[in-house]
Amino acid sequence: MSPHAAETAESSRTRGKGRPRNSETAAPSLVEILDLIRTERATTRQALERESELGRAVVADRLQLLADLGLVDESELGLATGGRAPRLVRFAARRGLVLVATLDQTAIGVGVSDLSGNLLTEHHEAADLTAPVAHLASRLATLFRWCLERQSIPTAPWGISLSVPGTVPSLRDGAFMTATPPVLPAWADFPLVETLTRQFGVPVWMRSSVETMTMGELHAGAGHGLRSMLFIKVGRRIGAGIVCDGQLYRGAQGAAGLIGALPVQSDGLTGTLDAMAGSDMIQREGRAAADTGRSPVLADLLRRGSEITPIEVSQAAQIGDPAAVAILSKSGHLIGQVVATLANALNPDLIVMSGTLAQTNDILLAGIREAVYGASHPLVTRDLRIIRSQMGSSAGLVGAARVASEAIFAPAFLKDWIIQGKPTLHPDFAAFCARAQIAEVPQSVAAPPSVQERIAP
Amino acid sequence: MTISGLGPHGERAAPPERVSLLPEDIAAVKAATRRVAIVLHTLDGDWTRLQISGMLGVFGDCGVVVTEVVDCRFSADRQVAELDRLIAASPDAIVALPVANEQVAAAFGRVSEAGIRLVLLENVPTGLLPGSHYTSLVSSDNFGLGRMAAAGLAPHLAQGAAVGVLGFAADFFATNEREIAFTNWMQANRSDVQTHVLRFGAVDEAADLAERLIADHPEISAFFVVWDTPAMAVSTRFAQAGRSIVIATVDLGEDVAISLAAGKPFVSVAAQQPFQQGVVAARTTILALLGRTIPAWIALPGVPVTRDNVADSFQIIWRKPAPREVLRSLGLTP
Repeated sequence: MSPHAAETAESSRTRGKGRPRNSETAAPSLVEILDLIRTERATTRQALERESELGRAVVADRLQLLADLGLVDESELGLATGGRAPRLVRFAARRGLVLVATLDQTAIGVGVSDLSGNLLTEHHEAADLTAPVAHLASRLATLFRWCLERQSIPTAPWGISLSVPGTVPSLRDGAFMTATPPVLPAWADFPLVETLTRQFGVPVWMRSSVETMTMGELHAGAGHGLRSMLFIKVGRRIGAGIVCDGQLYRGAQGAAGLIGALPVQSDGLTGTLDAMAGSDMIQREGRAAADTGRSPVLADLLRRGSEITPIEVSQAAQIGDPAAVAILSKSGHLIGQVVATLANALNPDLIVMSGTLAQTNDILLAGIREAVYGASHPLVTRDLRIIRSQMGSSAGLVGAARVASEAIFAPAFLKDWIIQGKPTLHPDFAAFCARAQIAEVPQSVAAPPSVQERIAP
Repeated sequence: MTISGLGPHGERAAPPERVSLLPEDIAAVKAATRRVAIVLHTLDGDWTRLQISGMLGVFGDCGVVVTEVVDCRFSADRQVAELDRLIAASPDAIVALPVANEQVAAAFGRVSEAGIRLVLLENVPTGLLPGSHYTSLVSSDNFGLGRMAAAGLAPHLAQGAAVGVLGFAADFFATNEREIAFTNWMQANRSDVQTHVLRFGAVDEAADLAERLIADHPEISAFFVVWDTPAMAVSTRFAQAGRSIVIATVDLGEDVAISLAAGKPFVSVAAQQPFQQGVVAARTTILALLGRTIPAWIALPGVPVTRDNVADSFQIIWRKPAPREVLRSLGLTP
């Protein structure tokens, strides 16, 4: 039992049998019992008594209360091990929903998950993140409403979790966001968090896309069940998600893993990894190879009026164009050198490469593998696997859902809402919500919903 | 023609040309007898017929035997039972159109666990991932189809018009994309137009829902229905009631083509290319059987059809001459 659980369980353990339920003393044991059920560390009443070290009467009383709140379900029977089959105690993950979204430079993804973080619906569409934030907020709200309408059993949302293209500072006070961090320059003037809270009446959480994708890969992808993993996202920026002891490591400011800022050297030049190996470099050098004719494939594309994006360079490399191969190979080697440093420091079980280029280009991946294997201690690479992510943008949605479910059921937050039955009734959130309702509404979102929904990207 | 949508996991589309078969691929696949099963939502309708015909031709050319073509009759339970039966029969690959989302996800998971290659058409149950649970999704650019239908309908809408949108209640990637894209296009390009959405669970509910929408919003002058069979039902119901509306839909069914040529009520159709899609699905399956790297999502662009190009579009899509009524309405035959 965790120190926190041991400390909080005491109050209920000393109570006499039959004593009336008291919300102040019941909350700690409720939190502990729900946590055991939700994380599936205990799935029967007997297991709950054993794990929580609470008496049968207390467990029965708390389970009744949790059932009344709709948070647990005891309708299923387990396997009998001699005698009667035990009744299974399950977390009622469908009690509420989590609205999730990923925002990146060229696309937004939205979805709905249950309270265990399992994705139920998802949709992705092209978007321009440089468009005014009010438009983005409006589109998000429209798509969130659409996702909610699609649910066969109408269920209220309990939270919103966003995956954004930048570092999100760790929360210093409070368990949910009460202000919009300036992740992108345009967000400085627009209260995205407050607007979503006002429109949906639920708390909002936010993490960088690298963090949510790492969480997604860890819980529903190749990293499932692993204790140690590195997740590398390659795009215009290059970032790492670090998993130690089964947990995402965020660092003091939420800025762990910003490996794109590290200096690297290539062809006698020194620059950051982002500048020397990111997709901007691939595009720029691809364009130069097309202009000079060094790459016949890219030069031909250019003559036909096609734009040279990193995708074209990657495709040219895949079909053997020597100049394009050299560009992707250089990028892979530089990324691999930096990843090798991290791998030697952390000794991961698995390195997952993500981002369109890393997921589709074999030459880039080969370059990374070569550099990591070449620059690591033999023990570090003995069982190390370096693979491509198979989850696409779903990783960000699944990870965002996990961020919300972990935050909603974090014991420190849970203890103050569990008696009320849902997190939207948490006293701190109710107070924030009231403030957000009366706060000055920006012009672009003050319009009635029917008008608002017509603002599209 | 560009692809405007993103895949079920946010993937960028790979073009159909990406899955071409080289002579050595055909020789390699012919070296052993391979068995493939096809599991579809329904066997009714031209779309399915052409899709199967496209697949059978390619499989035949490559010596791949199609052991059965299963009709799930839009039933999730039936699809689950059929998949479990097929797992026991252990074909080398299954090409399937998942009829639902959550209800069938676990059964599709069992197919890949059994080591059977799985190529999906049109829909991916949430939670299944390319590479680990299935090989690839082959679909139309359904987002593009929704936008295309909206763009074709827009010139027929007066300033401030109201449009009824009939979506599909099942959580289905293809119809979800069409509905979202249609309303999004209207919001972005015709912000004067109001859209009112209802979703039908079964095709025969569509006409009732359309009437309900009109009762609630008498100003509605046009409809978008997410595919042609329910759209025809709506058209027939309003024709009987003598009510004049215009309709946009997806897929150029024979009756829709006749109506389009006549000038009403259908005015805009975004058509899929089912034969071509069948060909691409079969090629994808063969490359999967050979263990080649395959993109997670292969998308085929739609064909925008109006009265002006209905006769030739019909030939492209259905590989047969347009119905005589179409040609007659267009004055191309006496």
